[in-house]
Amino acid sequence: MTLLRMAGVTKEYKLGKTVVRALRGLDLEIAEGEIVAIMGPSGSGKSTLMHILGALDTPTHGTATIDGADLAELREGQLVALRGKKVGFVFQTFNLIQTLSALQNVELPMIFQGISRSERTRRAKDLLTRVGLADRIRHKPNELSGGERQRVAIARALANDPEIILADEPTGNLDTESGSAILALLKGLSESDGKTVILVTHDPEAAEIAHRVIRLRDGCVSGEAGAGREATSTDSRGQEAGPRHGEGEASAPSPGTSPGAGAAGESEGGDGSA
Amino acid sequence: MVVRKLLDFLQLAGRSILHRKMRSWLTVIGVFIGITAVVALISIGLGLERTINEQVSGVFGVDNFVILSGNTFGGGPHGGDAGEYALDLELLKSIEGVKVAAALRERTGFVQGQPDAEGNTLQGFLPVMGLSAELMTEFKSFTGELEVMPGGRLFEPGDVEVAVLDYEISRRLGVEVGDTILVAGDDSNELNLTIIGIMAPPEEEDDDSEGGFGVSFSSGSDGDTINVPYETMDLLWGPADDVLVTLVRTEPGYDVDDVADRAEEALNDRGSDISAVTYTDISEAIGTMTSTISAFLAGIAGISLLVGGVGVMNTMFTSVLERTKEIGVMKAVGAKNSHVWTIFLIESGLMGLVGGIVGTLLGLGLSAVASSFIGRFFDIDLIVVASPLLIAYTLIGSFGIGALAGLWPAWRASRLPVVDALRYE
Repeated sequence: MTLLRMAGVTKEYKLGKTVVRALRGLDLEIAEGEIVAIMGPSGSGKSTLMHILGALDTPTHGTATIDGADLAELREGQLVALRGKKVGFVFQTFNLIQTLSALQNVELPMIFQGISRSERTRRAKDLLTRVGLADRIRHKPNELSGGERQRVAIARALANDPEIILADEPTGNLDTESGSAILALLKGLSESDGKTVILVTHDPEAAEIAHRVIRLRDGCVSGEAGAGREATSTDSRGQEAGPRHGEGEASAPSPGTSPGAGAAGESEGGDGSA
Repeated sequence: MVVRKLLDFLQLAGRSILHRKMRSWLTVIGVFIGITAVVALISIGLGLERTINEQVSGVFGVDNFVILSGNTFGGGPHGGDAGEYALDLELLKSIEGVKVAAALRERTGFVQGQPDAEGNTLQGFLPVMGLSAELMTEFKSFTGELEVMPGGRLFEPGDVEVAVLDYEISRRLGVEVGDTILVAGDDSNELNLTIIGIMAPPEEEDDDSEGGFGVSFSSGSDGDTINVPYETMDLLWGPADDVLVTLVRTEPGYDVDDVADRAEEALNDRGSDISAVTYTDISEAIGTMTSTISAFLAGIAGISLLVGGVGVMNTMFTSVLERTKEIGVMKAVGAKNSHVWTIFLIESGLMGLVGGIVGTLLGLGLSAVASSFIGRFFDIDLIVVASPLLIAYTLIGSFGIGALAGLWPAWRASRLPVVDALRYE
């Protein structure tokens, strides 16, 4: 089932007096449970796309729907509610709140959803245990290593049990070992929990875990490939609308059905950490 | 749900304040200096008011009132000039609810003493004061304890042709108890008055304020007054139109303000031009005066409070700026604009409140210290007032000032576009 759908999405914003067209008629569909890596050079519109996929921003033209909800038709409050419940963000720079402990950082999204303290703490502890930080819950971000911080961020992203995990360069600030562990964790989320994981990345290793790799160039999808394969160039640059991907693509794994090879659907016990 | 969220936000705000200890404390200092000044000044003002009120009520008593010449008290533009007035004392005594009435009138009269050994007589124009006997028996709180030299006495009801002399003039006239002096009034009215007492000489360093409210006709004065019974003045100068002050005590069970109003009306109908002043009038006037002073001082202190508020605003703006990314993160994980706004508002309010608590404690302490200094300087027991109402208002107000100062920064924080905020470095 298609969870995210972009059709002819254009995003323009002003930088001083010039209008920057970050996305130029982008088409994209992402199915539930997929792991999708979005790759592309700087300025290709990766971040802008991620903002729209995460309901942080709305398209200038075209339609973007998340789980059937058209972003253009939602008011600010509804956008907030949508991303609060359906989307979990993981950032390159972790973006943990320095004044709060690991546990409190994970609790934060639940505070805004009005979840009771006891329930919050229980869930936050579960999530931190799951990412392998059971013994670090009282630590402040500056007392944690980069890898540990990113795991806290992943636990935070999972706090409200969202369907979509959006990770912006999740391994960008990590060493290889920590990066691999984080990728394994993200992969586990898709395999054991059926989460849809979208990775915006430069990291070829990150692309390895993806079912699909989507390449962006100049605000359009320039190519797409299955996991581990070299992205095929479709020479679609400059076209009004990029090629549609999804159901029809032979190279893409059939979305919705259990993605990935070793997906043993053990949802609770799955210790996704390395 | 809402309360739960507010408590959570309170914690978030508190943590953020504690995280920036140094800057938070500096901001709080700005607030509490202002609050300290306001609390101390208001507190001293209230203490002063209560002290004056207690002193006045101690002298005045709640069942007494004073009759002064028209508009002397709290009235016309020339308020404060204690003028003389005409008085029908018998009419006053007959008014319902009046228990005792005593008056004081004064003239200048020709006085002649006893011839001395060489046959010389001292004579001259001297102040002659007519006093109701009740003034000394019933209104001691006004007059203070009057003392005569051994062998003499003060007036009693029924005394007519007698006099009590101030110590100084008795020496100058060379007279003693039992001697007579001649006093001449209008229309060649003359009386030989027997001296029944001589006032005890004023003690050195006798500025003890006990008693001496308003009617100071004895030890504190020049000491050359001839005191005679009130009725004797009638014989010398005719009906009273030179009364300085009249004191009235009301019957128990009567409302003193009602009786005072009746007396004022009755006497003014008879051609007097007087006003009756009760304790209520005086305490109102004192209240107006002291609260004006308090308000003025608090206004000055308020300026420092304003500066403190601007300090909070400055800190909050800095905080919003340096936490731009944090605001972006909060919004990305599901915080509404109103959530962000509330958190920042609570944060600035908390700084105000902490400033308020510290300021109140310091202010009360300061007012206690200042009161004891002022009290010692003026030799009075200044009451220290820690009014719960003042404290409550101060705490609410200080939270309000903090929140008010945070209003704008918090609004700015809540309006930050999430994408820009996340991108902020």
